[in-house]
Amino acid sequence: MFGYAKVVLGTFLALASIAAARADETKLRIGVLRLSSSAPVFIALDKGYFRDAGLDVELKFFDAAQPIAVATATGDVDVGVTAFTAGLYNLAGKGALKIIGGMSRDRPGFPLIGYFASNKAYESGLKTPKDIAGKRVAMTQVGSSFHYSVGLLAEKYGFKLADVKIVPLQSMSNMAAAIKGETVDAALMPVSAARKLMDEGAIKHLGWVGDETPWQVSGVFAGPKTLANAASVSKLLASLQRAEREYHDVVLASVKDGTAAIDDRTKPLLDIVGKYTNLPVDQVVGNCAYIDPDGKLDVKNIDSQIKWLQAQGFADPGYDAAAIIAKDYVKPD
Amino acid sequence: MLERTSKDPTETAGVQPARHVPFRGAGFTPAASRWAGWLALAAVLVVWQLVGGLALVNPLFLPTPAMIMRALYRLAASGALWQHVSASFVRIVAGWALGTASGIAVGFAIGLWRIARSIGITFVSALFPIPKIAVLPLLILWLGIGEQPKIATIALGVFFSTTISVYSGVDAVPRNLIRMAQSFDVPFPTIVRKVIWPGALPSILAGFRITASVALMLVVSAEMIGAETGIGTFVLQAGNLMQTDQLMAGILVLSLFGLAVGRLISLLEARLLHWR
Repeated sequence: MFGYAKVVLGTFLALASIAAARADETKLRIGVLRLSSSAPVFIALDKGYFRDAGLDVELKFFDAAQPIAVATATGDVDVGVTAFTAGLYNLAGKGALKIIGGMSRDRPGFPLIGYFASNKAYESGLKTPKDIAGKRVAMTQVGSSFHYSVGLLAEKYGFKLADVKIVPLQSMSNMAAAIKGETVDAALMPVSAARKLMDEGAIKHLGWVGDETPWQVSGVFAGPKTLANAASVSKLLASLQRAEREYHDVVLASVKDGTAAIDDRTKPLLDIVGKYTNLPVDQVVGNCAYIDPDGKLDVKNIDSQIKWLQAQGFADPGYDAAAIIAKDYVKPD
Repeated sequence: MLERTSKDPTETAGVQPARHVPFRGAGFTPAASRWAGWLALAAVLVVWQLVGGLALVNPLFLPTPAMIMRALYRLAASGALWQHVSASFVRIVAGWALGTASGIAVGFAIGLWRIARSIGITFVSALFPIPKIAVLPLLILWLGIGEQPKIATIALGVFFSTTISVYSGVDAVPRNLIRMAQSFDVPFPTIVRKVIWPGALPSILAGFRITASVALMLVVSAEMIGAETGIGTFVLQAGNLMQTDQLMAGILVLSLFGLAVGRLISLLEARLLHWR
């Protein structure tokens, strides 16, 4: 009788230890967009930095920032790397995920999001970003990073945000149609989406958000289950930082007039970014988001983003940056 | 005959003994029970609240009915609810009326005339399956971002369904009634008014039920086009901001809209189809 019990117990213990051994070679699913603002993730994967740290990383590609936050909260991906949105903050405010590091920033000299005018509006005097006060401005969604950028602009130039007529159109194609058809005066678009319209002469470029109002655009975040495994989170961040340092010192250091140089040193990294973003290298160079070499997070800016969203009613009240940041991992700026 | 078989069994040796057969031909009359629907709804709500209240499910993924009602109350108290509802109501009514009026006209044309039929059915078949969301950029280019593209989105969705239900209704009018009227030399407009219209009406009203729901569904797509107020905008925004309780509150308002419209059409059916 006891002999039988011992056999059963022994089998269970053996199975448990196998399971534990498998958990050691940590498998991580990272949710990302095919955008160059996630360049370090692509570089770390392609050059094997994750593998060196003992991580088995699999990338899951999404086509919008919001679903990545949702997938991270539901556990469909373990880690998300994308722009901070009101939806992400609301999920974090409810404890569904926490921010563990910084990624891209809008910063002078590095084009990421731009202000654009329709041809007609440009002719009738919309020539600089501050002129958008009182105009009809298209963007994807209210409470999006574009909306926040307009809020920062309003703060900088002292006009009321309420004076700007925000036109949420949900998708880039709707926005392109609206600004081409002159039914809006201006739009905020990422450089990757605007480039083609600019080349066609359909829109006029007014300026870059990075030049006007620098801010922390995107970051790295994880759900509670991933956070519980401190060792793998540390490994992940360390290998990301290795790639961030390399990307910063090689590619970003070569950026002049918003364009990176293509030479022997930058080419291999640009090729990797191009491979994952499905862009030819000559388009990747004009689209290099600034990324902190140490993966630092501008915590103060995160806090002011949350305060702004809460003041506008886009974020639920009752939490601040400190509540949604995993302090053990984040290096504040 | 029954008496004879019972008295003389030898004569009917091969005949089955008589069986009592209950009346079977009552037809199907699914009468709506007054309480069953409400009771089922209440039971679902109670279970739902319990599941949420006992923290079996993260409230983020499934907000409880109480949370949804609170979100709805806050929305109503701030006055925003009425702005959203009235903005959407105008769009739904305008779009539905436009789509229905043109749908009835085209549907009758298809049902009555040969050329209209061959051309109309081709176009309806070709254009009906186009997803309205896919043509939003075109609608924005053609009509701008004001009320017109929103109303047009709803009208387009309603138009095709109406057209189909109207012409199939016209096709289903018994031909012998039309032939009889023709034999009595009733003028064409009178045949349309007195024979075809009432004959097609049940199918047209059934079509209304579908198109009213289509209009409610499309108000969300329509309000993707730069709308600031509207229940569709509210639902979209709540989804974007991951405010799931508000999202469900918006859906609840849409459902209530749907129930009200269903009720209205039932009344209309009772009034217009009393001859059935």
